[in-house]
Amino acid sequence: MTTHLLRLYIAGRTPAADRAVRNLEQLAVEVATADLVLQIEVIDILKRPQLAEDERILATPVVIRKLPPPMRRVVGDLSEREKVLIGLDLKVD
Amino acid sequence: MTRLPTNADVPASDSALESMHKPPIATGIEGLDFILQGGLPAGRPTLLRGAAGTGKTVIALTFLCQGIAAGETAVFVTFDEAPEALLGHAEGFGFPARRYLAEGRLRILDMRPDRNEVQVGETIELTAVLARIGFALDSLGATRLVLDAVDGMETGFADLPSLRGELTHVFDWIRERAVTCLITVGEYADFSTRYGLEDYIADCVIALTQEVSNRVMTRVLRVVKRRGAAHGSNEYPFLLDRGGIFLVPITGSVLSAKVSDTRLSTGISGLDAMLGGQGPYLGSITLLSGQAGTGKTSIACSFARAACEAGLSVLYISFEESLDELIRNQRSLGIDLARYHRTDGGTVDGLGALLLQPVRAVELGLEEHLMRAIRSVRQHRPALVILDPISGLAARSRDPVAKEMLLRLLHLIKEEGVTTVATELLADDGSGVSHLDVSSIIDVWIKLRRHENDGEMNRLITVVKARGLPTSDQVKEFRMSRDGLQIVDPYVGEGGIVYGTARMARQTEDEETISQLHLDLERARQLRAELGEIQAANERLARAEHEVKTAALDRQAAEIERRLAAIERTRTAIGRGRA
Repeated sequence: MTTHLLRLYIAGRTPAADRAVRNLEQLAVEVATADLVLQIEVIDILKRPQLAEDERILATPVVIRKLPPPMRRVVGDLSEREKVLIGLDLKVD
Repeated sequence: MTRLPTNADVPASDSALESMHKPPIATGIEGLDFILQGGLPAGRPTLLRGAAGTGKTVIALTFLCQGIAAGETAVFVTFDEAPEALLGHAEGFGFPARRYLAEGRLRILDMRPDRNEVQVGETIELTAVLARIGFALDSLGATRLVLDAVDGMETGFADLPSLRGELTHVFDWIRERAVTCLITVGEYADFSTRYGLEDYIADCVIALTQEVSNRVMTRVLRVVKRRGAAHGSNEYPFLLDRGGIFLVPITGSVLSAKVSDTRLSTGISGLDAMLGGQGPYLGSITLLSGQAGTGKTSIACSFARAACEAGLSVLYISFEESLDELIRNQRSLGIDLARYHRTDGGTVDGLGALLLQPVRAVELGLEEHLMRAIRSVRQHRPALVILDPISGLAARSRDPVAKEMLLRLLHLIKEEGVTTVATELLADDGSGVSHLDVSSIIDVWIKLRRHENDGEMNRLITVVKARGLPTSDQVKEFRMSRDGLQIVDPYVGEGGIVYGTARMARQTEDEETISQLHLDLERARQLRAELGEIQAANERLARAEHEVKTAALDRQAAEIERRLAAIERTRTAIGRGRA
């Protein structure tokens, strides 16, 4: 079983942030199988600006695949499911 | 669109109003601060725009590091260059950036867009940029901020409708943040105009351009706008090299220059004599004008030697000859410059240090040459600076800027109280006319020229003017030989003034004539005397003859009278006898 750690960085609860959270959570449910688990962490950089610095974040919302390496980043409200899957390099059968 | 809570606490108008009354913040770039009448507007954004390679980042780094050196803290946000490269740049210009970083006085925020980032959806927000900058400013208590190559933001993201609004938001936030900020942008697609940086965001706009004329590049700085304060509005050439940014600071008045009564020997006693006995005043500007081969450099070197012997330091900026050439060439005239030459600026045996600085790269523009000269003078603070020659520069670029720069250079050196000796090469066909138009600032103007006659070349020297010095009006001969430099009085004789061998020839010739004339005169006088004697003798003779004749006639008359009387007596006696 592979666990993917996805961190979603948002800057405050904006409409785009909410959409991104929703889209990502829905995607996690849809692609989850016995072999693939998506673990999602949502981080508000307004509360933890040092993390934005560490990850060199410019634009939000942005989802970063922390595990497994290599790191992948997708920025935007994640409204297009296929592009998100490609961007995060998630293999879905 | 999101507003940062930290920012909303401070109403923009208040902080903006407040900062209007603060004194400007010095950039630490002397010339720029002068043009900006103090520096950048305090607590306001300044826009610095210019194409790649115009020096934006260097100015930005200087602004930050000078502030840190003065005890402030600063944040540098880079959208283009890697932080490591920036640290390298800063250290290359002599700022201990890594130390500042370690001490927590400088922070570099890496905001280069990640090209591998995949963009999904129509909306992105740039609040993270603000959050990061705000966080860095707050945790450092930073007073200076730089956003370098901010137009990199636009190229980093696909052109979404939301990007425009977000960027505008970033700039609004910066403006409201009320930190003294320098934003640099390239000329790419009019970025600064489209986001209102130029018109609305920035209180001060500085444009950097580079011009190439005659295959020589010149960088130019211009302050386009400065809200609420005056500024110099001209274009100012500037220098960008290992020494950092250098603008020629134009200062208000040259009349503040210290006036000295001390004199500086030229090292040539004859020339000193032509300048009232002791040479020009300290702090004055001497111009040596002359055609090729008239000995300008040699006189300049003589000046240098004399100053070094007097324990004064000399900066010799040679625009034509290399260091080795100069030393070798002057040695043949008995001037050993190597004796005084110091690379470290230190002194030995009470002699002044001579710092030789060849600036020969022909690819440099005049402005660069002159700015280098000014910077060297500022750095080394010599008592005497020699510019050899200043004309080669002006000849290359005939534009008025060149002359203005030259004047500015001379003004500046004079203001520093430094004595200047400059040489000017006059064209052979120019009949000795100076094209520099700098005579108004020249205190002592010495003209050298060639005098070709009877298959020989002589060098003539004249003091055209020498402010405040009793000078010689006479054109003298200037001789250069193994024994050194010498001023010789010309031969003034029948048929004009002559110099050199002709002078000797004429002298010999004249001497013969004189002795001949003396002989003639003697003979004439003798004749005249003899003639007088003859006359006198003749007179004596005539008188003698006259006397003799007179006496004879007198005697004759007396005899006749005696005979007549005798006859009369006889006749009377006879008459008495008859009667």
